[in-house]
Amino acid sequence: MLVINENKIADFLKALEKEYKVYDNRQHPPYGGLTAKKYFFPPVEETFVSEKKGSLKTTKFAEKFVVFGLSIPQLEALTYLDEIMTKPAEDFFYWQRRGNSIVVGLIKEEPDALPGGDIVFVDLGDGNFKILKNTEKGEELIKKYKSYFAEVADAPSKVTDPGMSEWSKTMRDILLDAELLANAVEWSKNHKIWEEMATTCLGCGVCTYVCPICHCFSVEDKIDLTGKCSRCRKWDACTLPDFAKIAGGHDFRPTIKERYYNWFYHKFVRGYKEYGKPQCVGCGHCKKYCPASIDILEILKTILGDYKKSQIQI
Amino acid sequence: MTKPKVAIYDFTDCEGCEVKLVSLRERLLLLENKIDIVNWRLGQERFDAGPYDVTIIEGTPITDYEVDLLKDLRKNSKVLIALGACAALAGVPGIMPEKDRKFWYEKIYTAQYRPRGVDAVPLSAYVPIDFAIHGCPVDEDEVVKAMEELLSGKTPTYSGNSTCFDCKQAGNKCRIRDEEKPCLGPITQAGCKAICVTGGSPCYGCFGIRKEANISALIKKLKTITDEKTIERYLTMFHSRTKEVNDGKK
Ligand code: SF4
Ligand code: SF4
Repeated sequence: MLVINENKIADFLKALEKEYKVYDNRQHPPYGGLTAKKYFFPPVEETFVSEKKGSLKTTKFAEKFVVFGLSIPQLEALTYLDEIMTKPAEDFFYWQRRGNSIVVGLIKEEPDALPGGDIVFVDLGDGNFKILKNTEKGEELIKKYKSYFAEVADAPSKVTDPGMSEWSKTMRDILLDAELLANAVEWSKNHKIWEEMATTCLGCGVCTYVCPICHCFSVEDKIDLTGKCSRCRKWDACTLPDFAKIAGGHDFRPTIKERYYNWFYHKFVRGYKEYGKPQCVGCGHCKKYCPASIDILEILKTILGDYKKSQIQI
Repeated sequence: MTKPKVAIYDFTDCEGCEVKLVSLRERLLLLENKIDIVNWRLGQERFDAGPYDVTIIEGTPITDYEVDLLKDLRKNSKVLIALGACAALAGVPGIMPEKDRKFWYEKIYTAQYRPRGVDAVPLSAYVPIDFAIHGCPVDEDEVVKAMEELLSGKTPTYSGNSTCFDCKQAGNKCRIRDEEKPCLGPITQAGCKAICVTGGSPCYGCFGIRKEANISALIKKLKTITDEKTIERYLTMFHSRTKEVNDGKK
């Protein structure tokens, strides 16, 4: 098997810097919780510019970059985001960044199927990382930088702790029964827990920003002082006040209760209906970074429990 | 097309927001191609009388004369803009509650002092304002954004994002979540680029209370990490005169 020694990783990344911009996500989080999503779908991104009458230019992005060090949930999330950004229509702006990038995972347990990324480093616990190649792009990169890698005899991994929190494990278990989850969340629309959220959730949007899958945005146009017109897209969030407002001022979800429920509805009900799986990978970011300390796992447990009880009564 | 006539006035404040206008530098020159600044005490020697298309007011009126001037300016201006926390929120001059004033006058200036001042309140307590560019001081990009919107015939709009949006992009640790320290970021309007939190200070909300902010929920959360006196201190740094905040405390 092909491996890289832990002492060579820094040199490998350094060497990549000659050709690519390298984002090392092992340092995560110095980013206040924002995930690799921001490299492909930035918080604010210019999309079109018109400098004079009749000309309209699409904003091009050509920088080649490598995102290194994504965990299993983060790789899964990116795979899901790729799907969302492809169906029903390909998102040009996402793919011009995504197409320019190489994603390298760094995980502690060899999975049955690769969760995503172009290359995955699997920690063997003996100082070596096994190299798994997922795409042609990944394959080529390894070939090109082969001096950093070595061929060694197959050996079982010595890693005993796959480094996933109890919270994530429980959440990921719950996510497995996507249908039950979708039914329960849909059923819960009038559950009293959303009233409670209305007095707890600050509507700040952080959970959405730090979620590796949340992908809603709003579009803003401007004319600057030189007369240049531009359009940009900016992350939006279901918990924010303008999210469901339309021209004329009508708001489809005027309260935090409705806004917060919508976040769950999109993740667990619409996600299941449209893509067959919930839009959550159990990374725990929303819980970790919510200033109001809201824990979605606790909410889901309550809803699931009450939903199951309600089904028995019928 | 004739350029819109713009006047820039200031009442009581530190003038820092006007310094921010000057520090627009090249962008101020670009702006001057599009507007005619016909009256600006601090910035130039031209003081044309109204009416004006746009009047930008910094500071809060604290004498009867200033209050009358404000009312006149409103009458003489198509668009009235509050510039900075003092004009928009009463800011630092508004920190002191009216009832404590007498005590401090005596303590600082002795009992002989005859105060002429009126209570410091936001401009909107006297006249309707069309838009507020928030901040203590304002952020240059926000000033330019409001001007761009006005010049392209739009009504300037407030951001629905919270300061947390800026704070996350700045890559900060969350004060509330990671450090158990108070912060008003979640109820404050984005746009400041989270300079205070980035520099190690809390957010005191100088960028204005975000629309539809859940103030009572933040107070509930802050009560789990600090005492009521501290929360009050945070909420009165800029918002002792803000209705939403005073309602949120109930
Ligand atoms: S991070 Fe927490 S407080 Fe902020 S919108 Fe999300 S759930 Fe509400
Ligand atoms: S430090 Fe304050 S502004 Fe920054 S994310 Fe936390 S609550 Fe929001």
